[in-house]
Amino acid sequence: MEGHAGLAEHAVAYAERRGFDYAEAFIESYTGTFYAVEQGALNSSSYFEKTGIRLRLIRKGRLHVFATNRLDRRTLERAIEGSGGFSGADTGLSEESVQRASYRIREKRVADGPRILEDLVALDKTLGGERHVKFRSVYGGAGRTTSLMVNSEGSRIESSVPRAEVFVSMIVGSGGQTRQRVLQLGGVGGYEAIEPTGIETRALDEARTLLNVMEHGVTLSGSRLRSIKNVVISPEIAGIAAHESVGHPDEADRVFLREAAQAGTSYLNRDNLGMGIGSERVSIIDDPTIKGSFGFYLYDDEGVRARPRKLVTNGAQDELLMNREYASVLGTRSNGASRSDSYEHEPIVRMANTYLKPGGATHEELISEAGNGVYIKSFMEWNIDDTRSFSRYQGSEAYLIENRRLGRPVKNYVLETTTQRFWHAVRLVDNEFELYLGNCGKGEPMQGVPVTMGGAGALLSL
Amino acid sequence: MEYNAAYVERKAMAAGFDEAVAEVFAGRTSYLKIANAKIDSIVTMDERNAFLFVTKGKRVFRTNIDRIEPGSIGRAIERAKLGVARSVPKDDYYGIADGPFRYGTARKPDRAIAEYDDSTLVDVAQSAINAATAHGADSVAGTLIMATGSAEIETSGGVSARDDSASARLSLRAFRGGLSAQSVAVATRMRELDTDATAAKTVEYIRMASGFGRIRSGTYDVIYAQQPAGLLLSMANEMACIGSVETGGFLTGKLGKEIADRNVMLYDDGKSADLVGSGRFDAEGHPTQRNRLIGGGRLLTYLHNHSTSVKYKTESTGNAGLVMPGPNEMVLEHGNTKKSLDSLVRSVDRGVLVTNTWYTRFSNYLTGDFSTVPRDIAVYIERGEPRFAIKQLQVSSATGIRISDNMIRMLKAMSRAANDTVQTASWDSDGSFKTPSVLVEGVKITTA
Repeated sequence: MEGHAGLAEHAVAYAERRGFDYAEAFIESYTGTFYAVEQGALNSSSYFEKTGIRLRLIRKGRLHVFATNRLDRRTLERAIEGSGGFSGADTGLSEESVQRASYRIREKRVADGPRILEDLVALDKTLGGERHVKFRSVYGGAGRTTSLMVNSEGSRIESSVPRAEVFVSMIVGSGGQTRQRVLQLGGVGGYEAIEPTGIETRALDEARTLLNVMEHGVTLSGSRLRSIKNVVISPEIAGIAAHESVGHPDEADRVFLREAAQAGTSYLNRDNLGMGIGSERVSIIDDPTIKGSFGFYLYDDEGVRARPRKLVTNGAQDELLMNREYASVLGTRSNGASRSDSYEHEPIVRMANTYLKPGGATHEELISEAGNGVYIKSFMEWNIDDTRSFSRYQGSEAYLIENRRLGRPVKNYVLETTTQRFWHAVRLVDNEFELYLGNCGKGEPMQGVPVTMGGAGALLSL
Repeated sequence: MEYNAAYVERKAMAAGFDEAVAEVFAGRTSYLKIANAKIDSIVTMDERNAFLFVTKGKRVFRTNIDRIEPGSIGRAIERAKLGVARSVPKDDYYGIADGPFRYGTARKPDRAIAEYDDSTLVDVAQSAINAATAHGADSVAGTLIMATGSAEIETSGGVSARDDSASARLSLRAFRGGLSAQSVAVATRMRELDTDATAAKTVEYIRMASGFGRIRSGTYDVIYAQQPAGLLLSMANEMACIGSVETGGFLTGKLGKEIADRNVMLYDDGKSADLVGSGRFDAEGHPTQRNRLIGGGRLLTYLHNHSTSVKYKTESTGNAGLVMPGPNEMVLEHGNTKKSLDSLVRSVDRGVLVTNTWYTRFSNYLTGDFSTVPRDIAVYIERGEPRFAIKQLQVSSATGIRISDNMIRMLKAMSRAANDTVQTASWDSDGSFKTPSVLVEGVKITTA
């Protein structure tokens, strides 16, 4: 990265000389391996190594972004010279303190490509040995992203972050039925993030659970499903709901309609900020600083220091996720949510690790308090509308709760309700804390950034 | 010395691999963002990228080449040697396509797009904003994308080819009176990118309804406008790829079986020059084709590259993918068409017009069970007349409805279409598609 620092500094200085009010250069280098083993066949074995630079330039409110892997001064100078004008734009940036920092996350154990491949082949073989696993695909890889950001205000942030992940998809069949499950495991770090024993155990457990649901699960009638009022959700369900129905609508670029034609809008707007989202038991946080988490970072792409963001506090909408543009609109400071998935794309407002804050109850107390109802532990199919008001989580693994105890699996439970009903129904929150991986898509071109979602489980009385 | 795909392929073969495929892509793509009826920003990517695929015995390996110069090429080849040596055999691998091939006349990209600059983008975008406003939009958002590029390929199978391309894509989302609608126009010729018609069509969806209303959860006939029709049906192209068949998709085991209404003709088209998703050759240099996937109600073929075609004793469909095939552009033709969208609406007794969907998610790819969410205006239809815009929620502009269906059932219930075929795309999908609006009978809808 040091070899390219001069190029970044030159680009920023050149843009300043050409009259830009703000200039930022972001150089990024990525190296990584990826493997795909599907039904016993190695369908991808690859290594990627890429370095490029992104410039963000603002003049009179007009934002231009230029990205290239042609790392020469003339290419950048031409791009700066060619950034033409357009009328009406008013992009501004919040005042932020100058930051100069450098951090490097070290792997505890190096994620060696062939070793990952060996593990994936072994995992595929193990799953293939399970009679009821009809189809299986296992993917995995590891890489390191190193970046340098310099801007015309004097900030300079260097970072180097390794990530490793394994993705498992399987379809389990029995008696003419099939059920599918995907698992994504990993985090910031090296081989320790994808330790094979844990993944194999988890995958086998999940496969046997699907089988149990198919062989012993009950299919509830429509009227019985409608009569279910008490629902216990696991950290996995709480996490996807927190991500989809709270995290996304709290992204300031949705609230102010910059993403309206792409990733969508929000039920929030300038006039209802601070509105009630849920019961007072509900507090939802997005925190990029959780060590080892998939969504980890210490400074965002604009060089703003990361910190936990309180999206919902005791049921009321609290902070929006902001970059400098929307902090400027709101007359405040950025809370460090500006991220891109690579130097090729513009940084936009993103989540990191979003979770339902744990409460004081135990999981057993949630079940007991529910009395009769359903415990929904995992999901496969989910979706939500443009404004993030109406969501659905289809239970992959769910159980009846009868007389304060867990009963038989339920095959066809679907939690489909509005954001307001969902979060206002939260009566109790347990003291568990788990995070689940995801790659969150947003922007155009689509950018997938690593995130996690989870937190505690909860009892909902709908 | 010119450092290009031919140089990379020669160097790789000299290093002792059995096969090598070198690809070099150079291009420029710009994204102009429209927000709150104003031009918000312009993002431009200008890159040259190269990829190298090699095999030794049954071992396969793919890597990129960071810079197309001798040092970086040499390092990539060394990486590939190590990668192959430390990999495991792919026992069902049967080699790349044997060329050379004939590709027909080279394509000539439209210069009006290929030579675009910021002022071109600004002019087109401003014209679209003005048109949407003139047609009655309170506000408008969108993206204008222009792309120009070249691809060259050189393989140890005797392929040496080049393809040039240029395309434009305009996405407009209009807002009016608490409702929204979105349309996407895509074209390979600038003159075919009609900003006024795109804006008019977008606002027209909103004007179809008079007032708001609620519906009950139940079963309805659904008209999918071109965008959601393309988005949903292109799943069939993905699932027809032999890799998806092998790992469990809704077309697994369905070859030759009845899976659709007999009037449905569904193609995977990598060849037709007017399609944004087309090209002269696939990832191993095999000529692209227009493959009929569904005809007479039956699934006619899966999609293959050379290696998988040998494995399954069939012919390549021009869909490589190294090492697994990928889809090209979905094209739908329907044998039972009404003369317009209005005529199709008039043929519905009790139904819903869905103008846009997103978040299509499968509970099980093997069965094809999925749900999807109407994103913009959905219009309730009764006795052939558009009645009202569906709005189930008081506090939000969301329609508040969800569609739950099964892909095979949907294909079988796709009984008619409108004569309004366009090439379009969706934010929710990488590709583009060419399709009319279609009617699917008996669709389950749930409401908030």
